[in-house]
Amino acid sequence: MSLKPTIGIETHIELNTNTKMFCRCAVVDTDEPNISLCPTCIGLPGALPVPNKKAIQFITLLALSTGCEITSKGMFHRKNYFYPDLPKNYQISQFDLPVGLNGELEIVIDENKDYIQIERVHMEEDTGKSSHSGSGRIESATSTALDFNRSGVPLVEIVTKPVISSSKQAVAYIEELRQLSIDLNISEGRLEKGNLRFDANISVAPEDSTELGTKVEIKNMNSLRSLERAIDYEIQRQTKALEEGVEIVQETRHWDENKEITSTMRSKEGSADYRYFSDPDLPNMFLSEEFIKGVETLMPLLPKAQREELMTTGLSLSQSNILSKSEEWIKKLYVKIFDQTKDSVASYNWITGELQGQMRKANIEVLPEWFNEDYLSEIIELIKSDKISFTSAKIILTEILTTDTTPSKVAEQKNLFQENDSEKISEMISQIIKENKDIVERIKSGEDKLVGFLVGQLMKQSNGSVNPGMAKELLLKELED
Amino acid sequence: MDVSNLSIREINSLFTKKELKPSELYSKVFENAANSEAALHAHLTLFEEENIKKAAESDKRFSSGKSASLLDGIPIAIKDNINIKNYKTTCSSKMLSNYTSPYDATVIEKLKEQNTLFTGKTNLDEFAMGSSTENSAFGLTKNPWNTDYVPGGSSGGSAASVGARSSIAALGSDTGGSIRQPASFCGLVGFKPTYGTVSRFGLVAFASSLDQIGPITKTVDDSRIIFSSISGEDNRDATSVINNQLDIPSDNTATIGVIKELMEDGISDEAKNEVNKVVEILKSKGYKVKEISIPIIKLSISIYYLIAPAECSANLARFDGVRYGLRVDGKTSYEMMENTRAEGFGAEVKRRILLGTYALSAGYYDEYYGKALQARKEMIDEFAKTFKDVDYLISPTTPTQAFKSGEKTSNPLEMYMSDLCTIPANLAGLPAISIPTGLSKDKLPLGVQIMSKPLSDNPLLDFSEIIEKEVQFDGQPKGWL
Repeated sequence: MSLKPTIGIETHIELNTNTKMFCRCAVVDTDEPNISLCPTCIGLPGALPVPNKKAIQFITLLALSTGCEITSKGMFHRKNYFYPDLPKNYQISQFDLPVGLNGELEIVIDENKDYIQIERVHMEEDTGKSSHSGSGRIESATSTALDFNRSGVPLVEIVTKPVISSSKQAVAYIEELRQLSIDLNISEGRLEKGNLRFDANISVAPEDSTELGTKVEIKNMNSLRSLERAIDYEIQRQTKALEEGVEIVQETRHWDENKEITSTMRSKEGSADYRYFSDPDLPNMFLSEEFIKGVETLMPLLPKAQREELMTTGLSLSQSNILSKSEEWIKKLYVKIFDQTKDSVASYNWITGELQGQMRKANIEVLPEWFNEDYLSEIIELIKSDKISFTSAKIILTEILTTDTTPSKVAEQKNLFQENDSEKISEMISQIIKENKDIVERIKSGEDKLVGFLVGQLMKQSNGSVNPGMAKELLLKELED
Repeated sequence: MDVSNLSIREINSLFTKKELKPSELYSKVFENAANSEAALHAHLTLFEEENIKKAAESDKRFSSGKSASLLDGIPIAIKDNINIKNYKTTCSSKMLSNYTSPYDATVIEKLKEQNTLFTGKTNLDEFAMGSSTENSAFGLTKNPWNTDYVPGGSSGGSAASVGARSSIAALGSDTGGSIRQPASFCGLVGFKPTYGTVSRFGLVAFASSLDQIGPITKTVDDSRIIFSSISGEDNRDATSVINNQLDIPSDNTATIGVIKELMEDGISDEAKNEVNKVVEILKSKGYKVKEISIPIIKLSISIYYLIAPAECSANLARFDGVRYGLRVDGKTSYEMMENTRAEGFGAEVKRRILLGTYALSAGYYDEYYGKALQARKEMIDEFAKTFKDVDYLISPTTPTQAFKSGEKTSNPLEMYMSDLCTIPANLAGLPAISIPTGLSKDKLPLGVQIMSKPLSDNPLLDFSEIIEKEVQFDGQPKGWL
């Protein structure tokens, strides 16, 4: 029996608004508990919610950027369940009228594009944080400490249709969504801070089945790595179970980061029926055409369009994808260097390869003040005009990253300019031939690969300043004579 | 002349003419409280000490001619479900018996700006759920006209206080008649403004889409003064509206409709007679009066007892012992919440939470809550149609005079029926007022209710004042001054 997995992903993105969703408390990033609270976000009697316009703008922006249909009559619903860190014991969320419906996100895996269908984009408020002591779980905790700083922070939830078929696709989807939220400037997109949190619904069914298998929800995946591993583990677990004729139970499972397995989580008490109903404190909320038009004007160049633009410079899809997911200054630097050199591959390789590599090695996060971005174009031009070798260029880059100088100065000082004068090179070749008569004999009797040895000798004696291409060409000519 | 019998405008005129000092009026009102509280139990808390300084400040403002407010130095009683900063807000519930509010309701802020004095917090049915003030965790309130009878509810404490002159006026809240019904039972004016004209911020929510704060006063003019002081759009309440009042006639060019369905079975002859009496007066003044049928009014109680409990089941979920109020320990957090709610809420509150939870449950939503919403919408449409035909609607405020304490406590349905005439205004968001018009053969007050279209509060008050003047009800409960 051939089996296929089907995956759907629910992602919560914490919006980077200054204030909370339904009150004007600051959104704070601190370990000090309970410092940004008011009657509304801790559910005091008589307090009322007032929506944060910026948050609604951000959600609408995300919905528009994923090509969703916008539900202009976005109604807030109450999702009722009891939990100590949920102050009102209901969460203000959206139910049958989410801001966005039926969207799509383009993802890239290697040189291939794929499209992930999005079911809905909706808004909700975050809960507080519980710390259970005595045990990690509320049912057996001896005490629970509560921090409501996070209570009421705006979240947007993006739910895909069950269309993802591998962990690789899932990772590419989250990477794309993360970049999108950064480019839209609606989130910091920092996974390690929980700015993006995702759950996966996974089922496995026979290849030819038109129905999906029993779905299992996986929670607690905190990184792309754990997302990938958890999905792979769960697909394997379910596949094995089905092959052995064991029934899959619909449940929520917890990804254990250390053991690298999923295990059954006890279901939340009372979670079966949320008794959604339209929040009477927030009736008749609707997004006017004017509002939506206003949001459209905020739309930046999306990752998909960025890739298309980059490909017109001559980069491949995967190169464009990597650049589109790089930091903003890298993207800009590429455009500038390409504009100057018109060499997409060299620009790409020097920026994403050498420059970022050396910066990482040297622990430099931002380019030093003296580092004129034009230096990169200069280096590329020097190589292209055969004035320096690739090896020399790397040395020059190292130097200008750590010292206030210029590429040509470094080349001068370190004597890195290539010898392109054929007469001078020929002189050196004559010398080398004299010194290596036995090698020359062996080459003449057919050991062609020893030509490289002679070129190496030549480079060594010239401190690498000889143009290796010319050197080889002249050497071969000399040997033939 | 007893100054506590005077209207706000009369008192202000004496203050301005320096014939009476705010501190003298204030002493008189607290004297009345001393005479009546033991028998009536209108107030849960009296703020006597705290107000001495404030009354003296009012004295100064008037003596130096610097007072600019009609409400300066006027002692007003506040229903104990409206938050006053640094005072208890108990909602007459064990759940909040130790709860002190850290903030002011918007209406309190506004009254403070007018230099109003607060006499204290008045008794109510627990969380405003009831029609007799018998559902208070802190004891009954009695009707100042006859202490064998209930004062009505849920704002029974506010009505009893104004009746016994332990305050000059009072604030109540009206979800299904909780201002108008006790006002009628106590021979007072009770005004429920258009939904949204008075901010609900700081009013402990019972049913958010129905709750509205309003005055209970001796005269229509007093209600007008308080309404104009507490109304206005509030950016802390998303349901608040701009108070753009409509211009409809109040003189005899207006047309009056008598609601047929509220003059049929279930309404006492005495109550009908009051309506007929007013109708005759209006006719004699040249008003056009006609009978109007709004059949859906017969469904009011059914609609109300689905919508109000559904909303309250979520609104009261926040009372869980976690952050404030009563906490009854348990072995786990959930057990603590369960124990707290079991002990903290009274029987009527529990009944409504259960009703509402049921009405919103999966599988029942469409049949109950969904249907109720649909019927409510139809009722709103019916009223809109009716108001194309007539300017004001008249009916009894209550089906009968006040009933005896204990008479209906064992039969909740009968108790619910006492709100038959008042509920439609809440469901449709209409302004509605109860005006005292006469006494029953048991020497208990009776009143009529006038309703008009949304945002015609001011014309409604003008029209009511005409009736008030013509009817000349000058009854006053004896023995408290």
